[in-house]
Amino acid sequence: MTPKLPIHCPSCSDSLSVSQLKCENCQTTVSGHYSLPFYLQLSEEEQNFILQFFLTSGSLKEMAVQMGNSYPTVRNKLDDIIEKIKKLKSENP
Amino acid sequence: MKKLLLNPFENTSETKLLFFGLALTAAGSYLAYLFNGRYDGVIDLHFTGTVTLLQPFLDNLINIACLASALFLTGKLINKKTRFIDILNPVLIARVPFYLLTLTNFNSFISDITESLLEKIDLKNMPTDIDIAPSSVLMLTLFSLLAIICIIWFVILLYNGFKIAANSKTSLHKVYFALSILAAEIISGIAISLLNY
Repeated sequence: MTPKLPIHCPSCSDSLSVSQLKCENCQTTVSGHYSLPFYLQLSEEEQNFILQFFLTSGSLKEMAVQMGNSYPTVRNKLDDIIEKIKKLKSENP
Repeated sequence: MKKLLLNPFENTSETKLLFFGLALTAAGSYLAYLFNGRYDGVIDLHFTGTVTLLQPFLDNLINIACLASALFLTGKLINKKTRFIDILNPVLIARVPFYLLTLTNFNSFISDITESLLEKIDLKNMPTDIDIAPSSVLMLTLFSLLAIICIIWFVILLYNGFKIAANSKTSLHKVYFALSILAAEIISGIAISLLNY
């Protein structure tokens, strides 16, 4: 099982940031303060949606067929994700 | 099953919805002809003496055109990406409860009760006590309850379809939706009475 990347603090629900990175080869660790990229700040479901959007060359109709949803349902999901990313961008320019 | 009855718009393709919507509209118009029903407004169903085959078909055409236009304009106001087909499909499907309600007038059952009741009422000399058979009162009460359930079902279907078509979320959007239905009801009622076919 691949562990899920936590993006929200389990204690206060605020957004988490990266404070340490480690090289698996030489064990070098880098410490600092790095905010998560926008893509990683989305939920797993939203990330999968974007991946599927990319893999279907941006065809919402094809996605609707693959997901077993109607076209407006898929378009609304995309619009909601766009809105969320715009909000994240304005909060962390 | 619950999703199919209340919100088939989330998972069903627009082509399938349009096909079933048109088929159900034709069936509903024919049922109204068989059971002497007139859809003389977007949220109306009245039983009369005789109904021609053309009347319920034209009623539905006017009602669908009025409601779809009103909701499409509102949908565009809420979300520019709203498509007409996504509004038309819920308008077609949401009318199914009214089509089913025509079955209650099998053998002129409801219209006979209401006509006999109206005969006893003299508007110029209103009686203080009207003699109505208890069975008629029971039947009219049951019909009224069924009609209320059908109107609620109609609104739920229509709202669920509209919500998906326009990606509506806020309470203000719900007010716009309600006003659109009212506007469509008024326009369709006037159009049907003016055309008088």
